[in-house]
Amino acid sequence: MFMHILKYELKSGLRSKDMLIWLILFPILLGTVFKVGFGSIYEKTEKFNSIPIAVVEESENKAFRQVIENIGSAEQPFITASFTDREKAEKLLDDGEIEGIIFSGEKLRLTVKEKGLRETMLKSFVEQYSVREKIAMDAFETAPEKAQQVIESLTAETVSSCREIPVTQGNPDVYVQYFYNLIAMVAMFGCITGMTITSHRQADLSALGARSCCSPVPKSVSVLASLASSFLLQTVCMIICVTFLAFVLKVDFGDRLWLVYPTAIFGSILGVSFGFFIGSIARVNEKVKTAILMTTTMLLCFFSGLMVGNMKAVVAEKAPWFNNINPVAVISDCFYCLNIYEDYDRYFTKLITMAVTIVIFITLGIISSRRKKYASI
Amino acid sequence: MENTVVKIQDLVKRYGDLIALDHFSLEIKEGEIFGLLGPNGSGKTTTINCLLSLLSFDKGRIEIFGKEMTPVSYDIKKDIGIIMQNVAVFDELTVYENIDYFCGLYIKDKNKRKKCIDDAVKFVGLEDFVKFYPKKLSGGLLRRLNIACGIAHKPKLIILDEPTVAVDPQSRNRILEGIQELNKNGATIIYTSHYMEEVEQICTRISIMDKGKKVAEGTKDELKRMIKNTETIIIELLELPDKAYREIASLPHVYDSKFENGKLSVYCSGGKHNLTRVLEVLQKNELGFGRVYTELPTLNDVFLEITGTALRDKED
Repeated sequence: MFMHILKYELKSGLRSKDMLIWLILFPILLGTVFKVGFGSIYEKTEKFNSIPIAVVEESENKAFRQVIENIGSAEQPFITASFTDREKAEKLLDDGEIEGIIFSGEKLRLTVKEKGLRETMLKSFVEQYSVREKIAMDAFETAPEKAQQVIESLTAETVSSCREIPVTQGNPDVYVQYFYNLIAMVAMFGCITGMTITSHRQADLSALGARSCCSPVPKSVSVLASLASSFLLQTVCMIICVTFLAFVLKVDFGDRLWLVYPTAIFGSILGVSFGFFIGSIARVNEKVKTAILMTTTMLLCFFSGLMVGNMKAVVAEKAPWFNNINPVAVISDCFYCLNIYEDYDRYFTKLITMAVTIVIFITLGIISSRRKKYASI
Repeated sequence: MENTVVKIQDLVKRYGDLIALDHFSLEIKEGEIFGLLGPNGSGKTTTINCLLSLLSFDKGRIEIFGKEMTPVSYDIKKDIGIIMQNVAVFDELTVYENIDYFCGLYIKDKNKRKKCIDDAVKFVGLEDFVKFYPKKLSGGLLRRLNIACGIAHKPKLIILDEPTVAVDPQSRNRILEGIQELNKNGATIIYTSHYMEEVEQICTRISIMDKGKKVAEGTKDELKRMIKNTETIIIELLELPDKAYREIASLPHVYDSKFENGKLSVYCSGGKHNLTRVLEVLQKNELGFGRVYTELPTLNDVFLEITGTALRDKED
């Protein structure tokens, strides 16, 4: 009987236009909009890229050449320099292929085309080098035996002072979080599917529910078959959603993509269970139930920070327990852990929280709906 | 016709201050087509919902096939077919799949189920529409699908709750004929409706309900015998002098009469040759007349006499 109901619930679900629109087309379209809207903002504005420059040697300066070569050989070099003559360098600057020219002679001189942060960084670099070169020269004159040591320290400090030092080992692209939020939101759309299960199984909500209650199939069996069908369909939708984001839109989930899939699937199952739970316990008609569900979901999204950026932090400070029972916060927190934290402890804690919440929602939903006679239909 | 299939004893159902069922009792025997007749809000659907253990009730006891009916009486439920007032099918499944789905809740064996589905499709005349989705069906065809979903598993007791609401006459006749055929094949039928003609046409026994109470019960002939009126004579006349009118009103077995808009209505209670006597009075007074016809009492007359209001008035 379980398999019979499951088969037809799957058929029905696969042919449902609502499902196609909200669980597949919506994330694809919104994801594409996100990608077009701010997909390259991080690359352009937040992520630090090497500053391309040209170095024109007006006279031989071995120390400066060595510093430039050392910087260039670093893993994430602060500047990418090419040694060339004045004429070619000026053409490159005019064409916008480089952002500055350093003339290396007795003194260093910097020529830039525009004013900005990157040009200021170049100016700072040139000034720092000039100061340190002076120190080195003085050292060479006063204590020649220490000259090499001074040059090495000068080189090392210059390079290290210009390197970006990440706070965590996670993905520093804050815009990836928007895609995580999108996945979390789509996962929560599962609550509508969950509530549909109750409306198809409760006699007071639909004619289908009444017919189902009149059949000789125990309600727990038909409800579990419907839930299983929803879980399977949600899983397929989430796999499509994440795959589209990762491989078509090329959203960079880093080396943790394999964990994004189970998180999204768990999240969507939590969404279905949440809708089923609300649908089962609320003893009101379907329209009121839908209103309650949508309002509750929106409030939970609000408190989990999906609408206002720092709300989750505010809740964490004022009522930390709420973030642990808010299913939306648990889903988004799970993604946050993936994005930010180097280790998996917090991530797996959140995943286990999701699993426990799913079991609680389903159990309470089945208990409150089985063997029920209704006061009115 | 001896075994009791359904027994409702002293059923009381309240919705707040409103008493939907007021100490309602009923007994339905095997092989009957039992009609529950009453205006909207009289308690027919509430009775059915209590019977199916969908609704809780405040007092009373319900037995089906000799056992108490509860929400977990699966052994009773497997022999019941239900056709609700509202169509209950999946929009995303085809006609065949819908019937298979509901039939599969009762019958596990695939081969047996296939035969049942084929029989049901043939029975409701949806052979040409098995691959159609419900949204592509007309209202009448959709009702037929609703019936097929309820009877495909060949239940012993079939409950039809106003199955012909918003159905075209052709489909309605087909549905009524189908119900009689199901009954001939051995099923006991409970049929609720506020259309007295339907109930009169197919039901072997009828219970008339009003305001949650049973106001009368019996076969249609038994019900009609409960009331004074046995015949209504209607004659179209241009004029009717007072003398002739008084003469007609004083004829034997005439208990009421009226002359309105060129129509004389004479209400008779029992007796024979009432029409002949009325026509003799008209001829004696040299009064010409047009169409002459008689009407036998209907269930509406029964309802009117018992409750003081017409069934049709209540629908309005």
